[in-house]
Amino acid sequence: MNAVLKLELIVGLFVSFTLLAIFIWSVRKGGFDDSKKMMDGMLFDSEEDLRDAVRRENKQKALKEKKRLEMENSSKE
Amino acid sequence: MSIVKCTHCQLEFDESVMITEDKNPSVYFCCNGCQGVYHLLKDDGLESFYEKMGNSTLAPPVETDDSVENFDLESFRQRYIKTTPEGFSKVDLVIEGIHCAACVWLNEKILDDTDGVLEASINFTNNKAKIIWDEETVPLSEIINKIRSIGYNAYPYEQSKEDVKATSAQKDYFLRMSVAVFGSMNVMMIGVAKYAGLFSGIKPENLHLIHMVESLFATIVLFYSGWIFFRGAYYGIKNKIVNMDLLVSGGALITYIYSLTILFGANGHSYFDSVTMIITFVLVGKYLEVLGKKSAVDTMDKIKSQVPLEATIVNDGVKKIVALDEIVVGDIIEVKNGEKASVDGKSIVNLSTFDESSLSGESLPVEKREGDLIFSGTINSGIVMRYEATKNYANSTLSTMVNLLEDSLASKPKIEEMTNELSKYFSITIILLAIVTYFGWYFYSGDFEKALIIMISVVVIACPCALALATPIASLIGISWATERGLLFKEAKFIETFAKATTVVVDKTGTVTEGKLTVKSQSKELDDYQLSLLYALVDGSTHPVSKAIKKYLIDEDKAIEIIELEDIEQVNAQGMRATFNHSTILGGNLKLLLENGIEVNIKSDYTVYHFAIDGELISTFELEDSIKKDSQEMIAYFEKIGVETIMATGDNQHVAQDVGKKVGIKKVYSEMSPLDKAELMNSLKDEGKIVVMVGDGINDALALSKADVAIAMGSGADVALAMSDVVVLNDSLRGIKDSFVISRRTYKFIKQNLFLSLVYNVITIPLAMAGYVIPLVAALSMSLSSLIVVGNSMRIKLKEI
Repeated sequence: MNAVLKLELIVGLFVSFTLLAIFIWSVRKGGFDDSKKMMDGMLFDSEEDLRDAVRRENKQKALKEKKRLEMENSSKE
Repeated sequence: MSIVKCTHCQLEFDESVMITEDKNPSVYFCCNGCQGVYHLLKDDGLESFYEKMGNSTLAPPVETDDSVENFDLESFRQRYIKTTPEGFSKVDLVIEGIHCAACVWLNEKILDDTDGVLEASINFTNNKAKIIWDEETVPLSEIINKIRSIGYNAYPYEQSKEDVKATSAQKDYFLRMSVAVFGSMNVMMIGVAKYAGLFSGIKPENLHLIHMVESLFATIVLFYSGWIFFRGAYYGIKNKIVNMDLLVSGGALITYIYSLTILFGANGHSYFDSVTMIITFVLVGKYLEVLGKKSAVDTMDKIKSQVPLEATIVNDGVKKIVALDEIVVGDIIEVKNGEKASVDGKSIVNLSTFDESSLSGESLPVEKREGDLIFSGTINSGIVMRYEATKNYANSTLSTMVNLLEDSLASKPKIEEMTNELSKYFSITIILLAIVTYFGWYFYSGDFEKALIIMISVVVIACPCALALATPIASLIGISWATERGLLFKEAKFIETFAKATTVVVDKTGTVTEGKLTVKSQSKELDDYQLSLLYALVDGSTHPVSKAIKKYLIDEDKAIEIIELEDIEQVNAQGMRATFNHSTILGGNLKLLLENGIEVNIKSDYTVYHFAIDGELISTFELEDSIKKDSQEMIAYFEKIGVETIMATGDNQHVAQDVGKKVGIKKVYSEMSPLDKAELMNSLKDEGKIVVMVGDGINDALALSKADVAIAMGSGADVALAMSDVVVLNDSLRGIKDSFVISRRTYKFIKQNLFLSLVYNVITIPLAMAGYVIPLVAALSMSLSSLIVVGNSMRIKLKEI
């Protein structure tokens, strides 16, 4: 009986602290900075929005790379 | 005729006035702006915006005459644009016109789709946007144009040090509070098992296990979440002040240490649950305070973003754009249509019109002749004009108002909160009593452990949970009741101030009156042809009088044939002129008709609109600002409950007295500038009155910030809403009466709750000090007292308004 109780507690604590860690990570990343937007998050959750997110990430990567090359060239000159 | 929704903004209008399309008969638009944005979104494949919008409505897009070239000027760059370490440019903007999450989505999407934009994130809560982009690919003016093309507008703002500080403090407190709530919830769940076990029997090893888990959560909550209390207590001691932080951290730490001794083998009962609860409750209160500070900073940034960036000065016929600080007295300044005057001055042209609603609250443009004063912040609503600066920027009206608002936001007057004061003295008394109890028992019995347990019992039984809950629970129920009735209380503490209010100051336009002109009388009926001409004439103008006439014609349900006039011309400060089939059509004020040789023999105290065709006066309309239907009822209610009502307006004495008499307000102050209104607030407060201010315009913002409680109508100006403590969402005056009823009733219950918790403490503390209460019973009775307070508060909503 005691062993079952201990196991339950360990599993329970593990799950809750994992969730807490995810929550803290999300807060630090700015996920909760905008309380209103967070509440309406479901509206931004379609397949199209996911594709947009990927496109945005690729665009950012390309822009950063372009800028890096430009800065390297200008410093060489 | 049926009412239909505009396909873009979703506002409802009569079908007869809507723009339709032959190709697509299912769409209706209220204006060209909405039609333009709809097609732009459709062409860009952004139609899902309308799905995301749901039932929200938008403000129809307004065409702005502001030039975007300013955004590419070097002076702008230096002030607002920063460079990121990666070499990109970054600007902070306030986006105007955001109504719902879909608006945020649309703006972010359109910016993301713009070449060269690296990141565009808009905060829905405060409408601030951060944009990072590559200036070599796209200039900022083009980005601003993109935002404007979809019906929104953007202003830059300088992210202040206060903003950075407030944002990071908010995040820090949010995280600490969340961890505290997480810990408390877990401790509460484990507590169920613990207390159930204590009554029905529990094995000591299981109890020990529970204590261990509880101690884990309590340690995290006390030392992570409660760290700010230890820090506050440290600075308090350093400055020789006994503050609340010392009591909270001290109380929680003593209980924690005692509970640890139990965990490691001593006999007794642990109180890890009390430790987490105390920290969590007080921290939630602190977090709300931090949120309040953050919103004050956001408000200030919004106000500052409204200040014009540059002004055009004319020197020997050469125009030059300069920063506002560079303007000196005597400079000749040019203001285009739609632009704001940047400094105070006097007009050097003979006729121009200015929208002074930011100062007077009145929507009708004011005529300015040579030598008339031009105030900074007012908008030129006529043609391009020039004036001479009589003050520099720092001494001008606009800058004075911004500075005053900043000062009053930083030190917004607050009535001392009774509960906080009470808790402070209460806590000091309890700590002293606990210490006395400990030494009393120690010297009496010589038993350290017994003395310690009794001391802990005193602390636990007196734990100001019921006292701490007395106000928040009642306020929460009061606020939720208010929200159901369309009243938004921004902070709970305003309930207390509201309930104690002795004086209500109301603005006239938009508060007591509708703030919109309506046609009161028409001298002669028009035939169908004349009707069509008049409709076409007023349809071409955005002047409030023209809009009122247009609405009147539609409301009268007249069958109007839509015709197109030729040569429509706006006659500055007078009205409109047009031609149709060689007939000259005039619509406007007396001056317009007299200057065109038409004799008019009508005298009126109201705003008058004359309509003439080919030199013959056809009809005259009298317009007035109608009084809201609930005004009299509201004033009568204030009189009944003994609250003094005062009306303060920027309008002239004649109109103000007339409105005051109609609604039953005896004290009327007229021709009040925003500064006068703020002065009135100060003098009323100096007389010891607690003042509630009701307003809706930019001109009321300063007075609202000075009032003890500020109420704004939901449709009011952004700045007024930001300054207010209570927002009446449905614009109804009944809302103000309801706010009084709800806050007075809630406050009554707060007092009852405080009384109940004090009675509880007066009975139980002596028993605990005498050693008759074991800690377990102390903890249980503490919970019971909280339940009584919660139960009592539930009765608040039982009353019908």
